[in-house]
Order: sequence, then structure tokens, then C-alpha cells
Amino acid sequence: MTGAVTQTGDVAGAPAAAPRKRALTLGVMLIIAAVFIAFPVVVTDPATTSIAFFALVFMVAASAWNIFSGYSGYLALGHAVFFGTGGYAVAVAARDWHVAGGWPVFALCLFGGLVAGLVAIPVGLVALRTRRHTFVVVTIAIFFIFQLAAYNLGFTGGTSGILLPLPPFSAANFNQPFYYVALVILVLTVLVSWLIRRSRFGLQLLAIRDDEDRALGLGVKTRRLKLTAFVISAIPVGLVGGLYFDFVGQIYPQFAFDPLFDLSIALMAFLGGLGTIVGPLLGALVLESLQQYLTQTFSSDATYLIAYGVLFLAVILVLPRGVVPGVTEWLERRRAKAALSAAHERDAAVPTGGVAGAAQ
Amino acid sequence: MSNLIEVKGVSKAYGGVKALSLCDLEVHEGEINGLIGPNGSGKTTLFNVVTGYERIQQGEVHFNGTEITNAPPDRVFRLGIGRTFQLTRLFTRLTVLENMLVATQRDEGWLRGVMRLAGSAGERRRAMELLDFVGITRLAHEPAANLSYGQRKLLELASLLVADPAILLLDEPAGGVNPTLITHLADRIKDLNRSGKTILVVEHNMEFVMNLCSRITVLSQGSALVSGTPDEVRTNPAVLDAYLGGEDDESTQLELAQEATHHDGTRVSVSPVRTPERSKLGDSPTLLSLRGVSAGYGGGDIIKQVSLDVPRGGITCVVGPNGAGKSTLMATISGLLRPRQGEIRFNGEVVSGLTPKQILARGIAQIPQAHSLFPDMTVHENVEMGAFTVSEKALVRQRMQTVQELYPIVRDRADEKAGSLSGGQQRLVEFARCLMLDPELIMLDEPSMGLDPQTRKMVFGMVEQMNQQGKTILLVEQNARAGLKLSSRGVVLENGIVRLTGSGRDVLEHPEIGALYLGGAVTSAADGT
Repeated sequence: MTGAVTQTGDVAGAPAAAPRKRALTLGVMLIIAAVFIAFPVVVTDPATTSIAFFALVFMVAASAWNIFSGYSGYLALGHAVFFGTGGYAVAVAARDWHVAGGWPVFALCLFGGLVAGLVAIPVGLVALRTRRHTFVVVTIAIFFIFQLAAYNLGFTGGTSGILLPLPPFSAANFNQPFYYVALVILVLTVLVSWLIRRSRFGLQLLAIRDDEDRALGLGVKTRRLKLTAFVISAIPVGLVGGLYFDFVGQIYPQFAFDPLFDLSIALMAFLGGLGTIVGPLLGALVLESLQQYLTQTFSSDATYLIAYGVLFLAVILVLPRGVVPGVTEWLERRRAKAALSAAHERDAAVPTGGVAGAAQ
Repeated sequence: MSNLIEVKGVSKAYGGVKALSLCDLEVHEGEINGLIGPNGSGKTTLFNVVTGYERIQQGEVHFNGTEITNAPPDRVFRLGIGRTFQLTRLFTRLTVLENMLVATQRDEGWLRGVMRLAGSAGERRRAMELLDFVGITRLAHEPAANLSYGQRKLLELASLLVADPAILLLDEPAGGVNPTLITHLADRIKDLNRSGKTILVVEHNMEFVMNLCSRITVLSQGSALVSGTPDEVRTNPAVLDAYLGGEDDESTQLELAQEATHHDGTRVSVSPVRTPERSKLGDSPTLLSLRGVSAGYGGGDIIKQVSLDVPRGGITCVVGPNGAGKSTLMATISGLLRPRQGEIRFNGEVVSGLTPKQILARGIAQIPQAHSLFPDMTVHENVEMGAFTVSEKALVRQRMQTVQELYPIVRDRADEKAGSLSGGQQRLVEFARCLMLDPELIMLDEPSMGLDPQTRKMVFGMVEQMNQQGKTILLVEQNARAGLKLSSRGVVLENGIVRLTGSGRDVLEHPEIGALYLGGAVTSAADGT
């Protein structure tokens, strides 16, 4: 086994480089945080800050969706259920409990998240009995059941929907509170996503993605695990759902339960990189901003769909696994190539150790 | 000695094919038990049943006194039964170290599981120690997808050890790995056994099994045939019968026995490769010929420098132990696998390098090893699929009629789903489908696999019938006795090399054929190659 140990130079070298890398990561994160915090102060144009708010909402949604679908590999196309449920929970509660607009409604968003999480339990129990394509179809079906229910149930206000109380914010700074609440939710969601990614729970989810049956055979309680991830991923979507419809000022069925929402967050995650932490954030930031910009500029709802299509095709062709993994891989390949040629020069004199595994 | 695993009267069938029938198995605590048996004898199915991947309707499985019949895989693993898979299964997008951490067992609430790190410092240290034990420590931070085939086998084994199971079920640990690594693996398994682990290993590499195991259980046709020490098993005639295939009627068996005594002492004339044949069809023109063909998947060659002739109008049977390269040989001829070296000629024309479709159009049809029908399509549709490439409708109709006359089942059960047929019936439908193309050469891969003796006899009868109607047959057969008896010409393949050729009977009676199947290579005749 000595032959194996002598070749661990790259591993042994890693800790030495780690503090520098960590400092760099921290610095970049601080700069990004500063940009996000300062943005609505620097740019006060309401049209632009509303774009920023929408981008944050979708960054939360895509990131939360990724916690379940990205990590476990189960493609859920029904998260609009939780977006709409969160929205309706806030709207109905604000209406029935006579909650004043502004900060009290923001507090109600927590309730929206809670309701979304509770709804996710039975939805997950049903949908997660299936796998792969069937799972995708079942989530879509459940989504339409919710849309139908929103049209027909009494307390949802039917087709005309519900108006939310107007926040007492001045017109000039109207967007700012919404923006910062969304930013807080985003930070918390990314924190959860990061915690899960490095946890044992996250590792087991990733194992399910790669080979669910083998994971089961290694003692992973797959069913419980998938349901937990499903519920965790529903809660932030419900939270921003409440916030989103509070911002818009009203909620009605085809808007709350919008199939395009599901496609959008899935596309965003795919574009950025499924299963990574940064990927869905990047995808949502780019795509949602682009969509809102195009809608505002051309005042047409369809233009962004064409842009979506073109962009998606380009990514599938050039970076099929998404931007983040694609670029990371490219960088690693370059680094590995450099390391390999260096190693070749070093090892040229030393015969390779007789490790059987290496011989194959 | 107490029994760690006890399997009692387990039966399992897939559609019409019986994989296990009233199978019993005992694994004693602290032993290395080898589970051997011909292809399709139910070894992997038995593993699947014990580890909860397959449910059974009949029989019981006990582990350490607890009944675990039909327990789910995660529970079975937590109780202390770890297994590897025949085709190694890893979490390919995780790193090697992450793969190791998946199986760590902790008793904790789900919330703590969500919050805590994937591996504590202690768990990581333990994982690294185990990687060290199998010798792949330096790959700890590589994605598992980057590992070589042998390294994957090592990782799969190590990843089980994290949970410290009481028994390891290893499904073909030495399959497809190089000799150095085989020795390394055997040493690791012995180390584990010394440290108290019980081991049950399925393996086709007889040398590996015989050297490693303290006790061997032979499965045949879905039930345990014999259990004993390697020497007992090696010398037990029933075991050789199981591998070579039992005779179907007693008179031929008697006849064979008499002939064997008659030949006793005299050198059986088996010609080494590439010398003139004495078989009755040796003079007939060659339909298919291979010259120095090498082919393989990934790293090494599976068949090496194979040269053989398939005479027109005859039945040529290729036999050899599992992993000899028989199926690879077929895949190479049919164009699914491109030969790396050498030349294949069919009817005098070079066909190596053509696409499978072009080769099919030249008149070489293959019936693959089991389950090649579309189970959800009807019998009629399945047969029709055979003529997929024939555009002339009248010709298709005419052939369908011929096929229906030959195999009444195609007409009688035309509208039933192919999946509902028994194993033997499915074979007939496969034959029918193949004949829809009216090929000149039919390649059959293990037509008797998983069939009971009567059905097997019927299937072989059908093969003979096809041959009598002018089809040249190239047969790969596990049941060497039945296959060779049927054939005008026999070819023995071992480790990808042609060891013997000759008339079917000569090959069958060659004294070293037993050694070939139950460990040890043929030495005398191999000199020719």
C-alpha cells in the first residue's frame, strides 16, 4: 500500500491551498452580498428595482426547487402548487383576519410557507410513490388539480381572485421593503441548500440521484428522505409565493397556479447547473431579469419565450449539464492537464507502485 | 457452527421462467462459502432474494435467527448483510470518499441528519482506513466515474465495510478483472474472513473459488445440488453434469458411458486448431470464417486471435466456461462489436467492419441470450417485427404462413402478449421471428438457458429442424453435452482463446473438458494455439 501513499501529493497539497481558497470565496461572497444589499439604494428607478425583486423571488424558487429535484434527481414539475398555495394562504388570511398591508402581511408570509410545507406532505406521499417519468407526470397532474380547486373553491374568490391590502409605502420607495424581505428569504434558502449539500442527508439524496436501489441496499431510508427533501423544498417557494402576490396586489387562479412557473424554475436550474448551489441562483438571476426586461421593453408576453427557447437550446448544445458544472469541469480539466504533465516529468524516473487497482 | 444465513424452500419465477425452485442454502458463521453453478442456475436471483431486492411467494429466509423473508433492502443491510453487484454499482457522480460515507450508519433523528455533516472526522478516518485496506486511498477525492473497472470493484467492496456487516455477499468479485487484481481481491477477502466476516461469494472463476472457499454450494436449475469442500465438489460427477448439462434420455447416457470406457486409454483424437478436420462436414464449403479476430469492451480483449470456420449446412457449437467470450464472439460476428483485429468472411465476402444492419441483410441473424421478445407486444407483432426490414408485403405474408405452419403457437396464441408465454414458448416465438428474415446463418446464444429438461429437448429439436431445412446454425451453449451431441462441429473457447475444435462428439469426449469447466486450463491441446 506504500505505493498508494506516495502518490497522494495532490491531496496532501490541498490543505495548504485551502485557507487561501476559503479567503477568496469569502471575499467574493462579501462583494456579492454588498452588491445585493446596495442595489435598491443605488438604483432607485422603480422599473429596475421591481425587476430585481422578481429576480430574487425566482432565485429563491429555483434554489428551493433544486434542494429536492437537483439533489435527488426527481424532476418535480408541480412546485407552482406551493407558490400558489403560499400566495392564497397569505391572501385569504389577510382578507379574513383583516390584516393591514405592509409589514403585518410580510409576517403572514411565514404562514404561507408553513401552509405550503403542510400541503407538500400529502402531495409528496402520493407523488413519491412513483419514479422518473411517472413522477414528472404525477406532479403535473397534481398541479392541475390545485389549479382547478382554486377556480372552484369558495374561499379562493373563484376566477376573480382576491385583492391584497395595499402596503402603506410611499410610491418612490415602494419596492424596497419587498426587495429586502425577499433578500432575507434568499439568504436563508441558500443557507439551507448549502447545509443540506454538505450534510449526511444531502449525501444520501445525491446517492439516490445516482442509484436509488443501491442506496436503499446500503441502509438509506429512501422514502423518508425524499419526502423530507420535498417538504423542505416546498417551504421557501410558499414563502416567496406569499410575498410575490402581496407585491402584485392580487391573486387569481391562472396566475397563482401557472404551468410556466414550473417550467421557468426548472429551466433556470438546468441552465445554471442542476444539483449545484450556485447554478439555480445564476440561472434565475439571468433568466428572470431577462424576461422582465423583455416584457417591459417590448410590452409583449411572448418575446421572452422565444429568447428562453434559443438560450435553452444553446445551453443544451454547448453545456448540457448547465453553466456552473460545465465551466467548473472545463477549469478542472485544464488544471488536471497541467498537473498531469507536471506529474509525468516528476514520475518519469520513479516506477509506479504495484497497486493492483492502478494496474487496470 | 451456527448458521448465519438460512434459506429454506425458496421459489421464484419470472413469467414462465423458473429462476429458483425450492432452493435451500446454509451459510455457516465464519466461513467463506462459494456459490457456483452454470449460467441461469439462479445465483444472482438468490442474492436478490436474500437482500430484499426480489420478493418471493414461497420459502423463508433467516438471518442470525431472525426471519428476513421479503424484508426491504435497507433493513436487510442494517441487520448486517452487505452485498456487491455483478455489474458494479457505484454513485458515479460522487467522489470515492463520498461513496464510502453513504453507508455509514447512525441512529439519529431526521432533523439531526439534515443538519449534521456528511461524515464526522471519525467516520472519514475510518473510510480512509478502509480505502487504504483495498488500496485506493489516493483516489479518495476523484469522482467515482473516473475509476477503472477493477478500482470500482474495490470501492464497492470497501463501501460496504463502512457499516461493518456480519456477512458479505459478493456477486462475481473477480469477473472481468485482471489476474494481479484477482490475487489482490482474494487476499482482501481472506483478510476480512480472518477478521471475523462471513463471506458468500458467487464466482465463475473456478480457480479463484476453489482456492478461496472453505465450502462450496452448487446451484443447478434453481436449487442447491451439492454442498461440500472444494475437493468434494470438484470430484462429484453430479457437479460436472450440472455444468455440462445432463443427458435427457438414459440410453444415450449409457451409450456415452460405454464409449467412454471404450476410449479409455486410447488418445482421443481431437485436432488442435487450424489442422484439417475429420468431421463429417469438414469438406463442405465454409459459410463463415474468422481469421485472427480479437475484440473486447473497454480495456482488454475478450476474444483473442480467434480463428474458426463454420461449415455450410452444419450445426457448429461453441462451448466453454462462463466468461470465455462466447457471447462476445457472437456480438463480434453480428457487428454489434467491431473487431479490433482480424477478418470475418461470410460467403467469401468480408463482413467485419460492416454495421449490424448490413450484416443482418447479408443473412446472419442472431437470437440473443434470453428475453429478447417485446413482452408487451403480442406474439404476432413480435414475429412481424422480425421482418421489419423486408418491404415486400407479399413476401412477409408468405413467410408468416411458413412460420405459422412450423410453429403453430404463432397462430394459436397470436393475440396474446409475448410476456405471458412460458420460457420455452418464448424461445419458439424468437425462432419464428428470426426465420421471418430467412437468414442463411442463425446464431443462437444459449437457447436452453433457464428451461426445464423437457422444454430444452423440444427447443433442441427445433434447432435441429431449422438445420434440416437448410439453415446453418452457430450455437453457443452452456449445456455442453446436449449442444455438442446435436452438432456436427464443436469449438471450445476458454479465456477468449479457441482451445479445441473437432467433431461434436470428439470434443465432448475429450478427457480434459471436465478440467476446463471446473478449474484449470486445458494444457495439452492448448499448445497448438
